[in-house]
Amino acid sequence: MTIYLDNAATTWPKPESVYLAMDNFARKSMANPGRSGHHMAKASEKILDDTRIALNRFFEGCSPDRWAFTLNGTDALNMAIKGVVDPGDHIITSDLEHNSVNRPLRALELSGNNSVTRISSDESGTVNPDAFLKAFTPQTKLVVLTHASNVLGTVQPIEAIAHLTRSKGALFLVDAAQTAGILPISLSKLPIDLLAFPGHKGLLGPTGTGNLYVGPRVKMRAWREGGTGGDSRTETQPRDFPYFLEGGTPNIMGIAGLLAGLKWITEKSQNIIHQQENDLAKRLSESIALLPGLRLLGHQNWDKKVATVSFTVEGLEPYEMGNILDSSFDIAIRPGLHCAPQIHLAQSTFPDGAIRASLGPFNSEGDIEALIIALRQVLGG
Amino acid sequence: MTEFNFELTETEKDRYSRQMRFNAIGTSGQTHLKNARILLCGCGALGTVLANTLVRAGVGFIRLVDRDFVEVSNLQRQVLFDEDDAMQGVPKSVAGAKKLGQINSLVSVEPVVAHIDRGNILELAKDVHLILDGTDNFEIRYLINDAAIKLGIPWVYGGCIGSHGQFMTILPGDTPCLRCVFEAAPGPGEAGTCDTAGVLGMTINIIASYQATEALKILSGNSDAISRDLVYLDCWENTFRKIKIAKLKGKVDCPCCTHNRFEWLEGEQGAQTTSLCGRNAVQIAHAKPIRLDFEFLSKNLFHLGNVSFTRFLLRFSAEGCDFTVFPDGRAIIKGTDEPDRAMALYARYIGH
Repeated sequence: MTIYLDNAATTWPKPESVYLAMDNFARKSMANPGRSGHHMAKASEKILDDTRIALNRFFEGCSPDRWAFTLNGTDALNMAIKGVVDPGDHIITSDLEHNSVNRPLRALELSGNNSVTRISSDESGTVNPDAFLKAFTPQTKLVVLTHASNVLGTVQPIEAIAHLTRSKGALFLVDAAQTAGILPISLSKLPIDLLAFPGHKGLLGPTGTGNLYVGPRVKMRAWREGGTGGDSRTETQPRDFPYFLEGGTPNIMGIAGLLAGLKWITEKSQNIIHQQENDLAKRLSESIALLPGLRLLGHQNWDKKVATVSFTVEGLEPYEMGNILDSSFDIAIRPGLHCAPQIHLAQSTFPDGAIRASLGPFNSEGDIEALIIALRQVLGG
Repeated sequence: MTEFNFELTETEKDRYSRQMRFNAIGTSGQTHLKNARILLCGCGALGTVLANTLVRAGVGFIRLVDRDFVEVSNLQRQVLFDEDDAMQGVPKSVAGAKKLGQINSLVSVEPVVAHIDRGNILELAKDVHLILDGTDNFEIRYLINDAAIKLGIPWVYGGCIGSHGQFMTILPGDTPCLRCVFEAAPGPGEAGTCDTAGVLGMTINIIASYQATEALKILSGNSDAISRDLVYLDCWENTFRKIKIAKLKGKVDCPCCTHNRFEWLEGEQGAQTTSLCGRNAVQIAHAKPIRLDFEFLSKNLFHLGNVSFTRFLLRFSAEGCDFTVFPDGRAIIKGTDEPDRAMALYARYIGH
């Protein structure tokens, strides 16, 4: 049985209830959603409604209607960035971002219509809010920041940056890909305007799910238009949320799984899951820190990290180590650049990247022990 | 496909007179050859002998496909090339076509510099009467087999290593196909390759001559004379064996010729390659993992002088590329970002 340590990419396995919810939906009510349709259409619509309500409660948002379903985290981020940025706008972001943020922003920059300031993280893998404050211009429309680095697991000071962004009148978009379902995020306490995440990571849903929360201050364009299951007479996309952002039949089966994942997390308690994952990650980090030639990336203060341990080793490239762990030990980790080249440049691990082990709620001490033993065998010591 | 029906000219009758005097060929056979079109896959060892023999024999059109460039180490057995070609690093198909044009200006040779893959083989084979195997690679042979069965075109397989070789003629719908006989290719590292175990030029000349003779029979309308066996011979040991395979037709549950499932053409079979972004390296993984014997492989590669291995990986360098091979057959090849080249190198040094 594969020892799966690639949960920062997609969590696996999922809680049994997630599999059952999708199976049950597929067999009993996999119809197109509709508010005024037949009973299967209503059942389908209800899953969407229930999930929006659950998400809004979980993240303490302003209304279930402000939760749009997306294809994944990248889709949500693209919708947000392309939906709010106008020609002439300035955007502030960091060097910790995933390509799902880097690439849309770089394309806007290259179009000549927008300017982007990228704040560098320090060696520990954290950005300083003061640097953000200094970067604002009268044209700054949007600040985009990851809640935690997908490479280093380091948690960013989003509270401070949320408040200073609000004080400057700009919009704050948080990429919660590594934290949604893992760290508490309260939209009622923090001035976050846009929150984007995939459903298949910390929220324990299946691939093909994601969400964008759009706060009340945001005026945006819909970049996907189409059928919304109601209001068909309107010639253009209906303006009412969330349908404004949701043309086309959503992945309702996946959303049924996402809802089950969210319930599972709520029942188990997000904080307990996070603590359990971080305890294992801390143990892994401490056990391998002294192996010959091994370099841990980013700080190892586990109060300010999610359960991701990234490292390099002397004499073996990350891809080589990844293949060794897979072929000789059946351990799944992720080598390379993790779609976040700029933080690897900052950490001097470009272009080879690093080896990333990331934990999920179903990892055990045995899994960590197996990786430690494998690394000892390969590296000696 | 447009069928041509050209008659022989007086010049041609004179040129091919010795071959035409052979009873089974005659004017009719030679006329068939003039109107015949061949796809020759590979212009290396077997390919150059096949092309040389068949151009001289008067086959009207040959499409010569190879992605490689001539090197000095080819000259020992690749009969169409000389030292100038190697020095200039000319593409093999181009150098071959030029030489063939000097040998026989009455026939047409079309050089194609390309790696044969599932994206181009149907196009390359669509207007020919016969496909000849001049490759060194079982993946491409299965691909040729799929294309030949799908299009209903006969093909002749040939392979050599050391002092032995084998050949087999496949007539779609009539004889067993390559997959009926060899259900799967020998795994990487299980058998030697010409680059590890070496090959004698003589072996190649013999096997290619048999393949060319089969081609002559098929194209000249002498179907009765076509070999129905898998023929194996060793010119060092002086052994010659005919393995009866005709009975396999219809007896084996062949995915290709019984069920028309073209797994290589459709990409279900074969290795997967991934270009490792920005690193000038390609990773190769097999659809079905195997176990490599590093000790055996390191002995095969001993002549390279730079092989080292641990329990977890084996490294060596060849042709300007660094290889890292893992026990389940996957490999990272650094020094190229072209998946085709990486695949060819893998086949050459590790196996098919």
